[in-house]
Amino acid sequence: MTVVLTPEMVGQVLISGVLSGALYAMVALGLALIYGVMRVINIAHGPMLMLGAYVTFFLYSRTGMNPLLTVPVAMAALFVVGVVLQRTLVFRVVDAPELSSLLLTFGISIALVNLAQNAFTSDLRSVEYITGSWLIGNFALSKPRFIAFVFAAAMTGVAFLFLKATRLGKAIRATSQSREVAMVCGIDVARIHLLTFGLASALAAGGGALLAVIVAIQPEMGGVWTFKSFLVIVLGGAGNYPGALLGGLLLGLVEQLASLFLTTQLSEVVAYVLLVLVLLVRPTGLLGGRQT
Amino acid sequence: MTFKALGSLVLAVAVAMLSMPADAQGPIRIGASLSLTGTYAKLGKNQHEGYQLCIKDLNAKGGLLGRKAELVMYDDQSLPATAVRLYEKLITEDKVDAVMGPYSSPVSEAAANVTEKYKKVMVAPLAATTSIFKKGRKYIFMVITPAEAYLEGLIDMAAKRGLKTVAVINEDTLFSKAAASGAVELAKKKGMQVVYQEAYPKGNTDFSALLTKVRAANPDVIAAGTYFDDAVALTRQMKELNVNPKMYGVTVGGDLPEFYDVLKQNAEFIYGATQWEHTLPYPGNQEFFDAYKKEFNHEPSYHSAAGYAGCTIYAEAVKRAGSLDADRVREQLLKLETKTIFGEYKVDQDGFQTAHKMVTFQWQGEKKITVWPDDLAQAKPRFPTPPWNQR
Repeated sequence: MTVVLTPEMVGQVLISGVLSGALYAMVALGLALIYGVMRVINIAHGPMLMLGAYVTFFLYSRTGMNPLLTVPVAMAALFVVGVVLQRTLVFRVVDAPELSSLLLTFGISIALVNLAQNAFTSDLRSVEYITGSWLIGNFALSKPRFIAFVFAAAMTGVAFLFLKATRLGKAIRATSQSREVAMVCGIDVARIHLLTFGLASALAAGGGALLAVIVAIQPEMGGVWTFKSFLVIVLGGAGNYPGALLGGLLLGLVEQLASLFLTTQLSEVVAYVLLVLVLLVRPTGLLGGRQT
Repeated sequence: MTFKALGSLVLAVAVAMLSMPADAQGPIRIGASLSLTGTYAKLGKNQHEGYQLCIKDLNAKGGLLGRKAELVMYDDQSLPATAVRLYEKLITEDKVDAVMGPYSSPVSEAAANVTEKYKKVMVAPLAATTSIFKKGRKYIFMVITPAEAYLEGLIDMAAKRGLKTVAVINEDTLFSKAAASGAVELAKKKGMQVVYQEAYPKGNTDFSALLTKVRAANPDVIAAGTYFDDAVALTRQMKELNVNPKMYGVTVGGDLPEFYDVLKQNAEFIYGATQWEHTLPYPGNQEFFDAYKKEFNHEPSYHSAAGYAGCTIYAEAVKRAGSLDADRVREQLLKLETKTIFGEYKVDQDGFQTAHKMVTFQWQGEKKITVWPDDLAQAKPRFPTPPWNQR
């Protein structure tokens, strides 16, 4: 009954793993940013992704806009939503104990999902844009997933460049390293927080917009992404930005390989066992966590 | 006093007396929880609308035992644990007069523990798993054909066309598992070889690895025990990974109009099983279809029809029993043999459905065309399913 595994199948699954890994990395980078800069664990990260997916869906279905062109629109829209949330709610818990921020973002998450259920209904929606695959030898390269991969990789790259090379990016990293010193150096920390939350929400929204082309969307699609992003940043090292990239790819590959060698049911188990192992052996994550 | 005046007085008294019980006792409250959000939202909503229309029709015809009927509805979010809590609440806090079943086998299985405990009759119109009814429960009644038979049409057609191998995959929940095991047994009985079998967790959206293995097994037929979300995701990824069986069939979800809306032409050639179609010649079926479309602005699915039928069956038993008493209604439900808009109803001593029949359809030119069994078929199946790149 079981299928004999061939190197070809492993190759096929590695492709799938890298393709989904890039998306994980991009979304998780947003979560890592918020945690790194503000020490806030944003449970509402997944629902932000869901809202991004709906932006794409509505632009595509109402105006016929090319779904790939809607990605920047979704990101811009959710950047604004993120800034507003930070400005009105999240800033209140930045210095509070971590439990407060958990509770607050959990509340925001429930509110967003229920608002979406009321506004958009819980019907499944989908963007039938590009389906199918390119066949390269014996390998099938899924078109929508590959496009999403390219976009996600590009956007993650841009985000890294921004953090590395621009003054604002440096200010974000400085705030993340030490808020007090950053403040003394004349960095407007409140403004950096706004920017960070906006940027992180935009990254989630970008992920959602790309997902809209891959899977069917519904208001509750975000929850699992909050957890996956969380897994990714703990794997890579909480608050460590390149760690999010590594963690994302690792999660994508582990999930796929576990599904192949074991069963789809066990793939999630394997991912979390890996998390426990990493925490036991390297409690600060693979690339080390934020220095405190 | 003229003769005419006397006549109207008598009439007025008669009307007053007839309508008295309804006013005196208030409405009969029928409680249920349904999956209005969560994984099964789409299907649960249709069932809800079936209940609503049934209650409306019932009241238009004078209500139940001379009283108006009214629905007390909660959302169980597709979660069995939530349903347990809600049925407890319905029975002990809201003190409803009767209950109806929730959506899906896993949720019905959980809720049945509560309704049995309080000895409440529960017609469970959308519980299709045999085991739910074979545990010695006394008050639960089945309306639809059991899960094991969902893929019967697909396997039967495949065997008749000389196909030899089948891969069976399913969501790892009660109903889908039963559908899959039914398919496996039937395939073996028909001399086909099951070359691959795997279950995936509920809510799974990435089938890359699973389908890579299925592709390597190269089956003639893929039989999938699915709900809606996974049926859609599976189909999309079959195309992405270029998995090309000669026949591919799903269980639940494939029959919804939304299946085609979401997948567009990619839904063509896919087989699905359905408990009911509006084209089937059952009494009142066409009227139900028209009324439903008018009321809710979309077409009913079999979940809508089963919900409607389950509610009418319960009402019929109450009428025959002349009471809401659980044991008397139960007696009538065990004896009842009827044909509703949904087809035949007859149960054995366990409340297990024995009379209702299923049909298999195929998506052809944006429409569901019944292709099995032969005596109900509208057209021949389009066979074999062409590879994705030749469509």
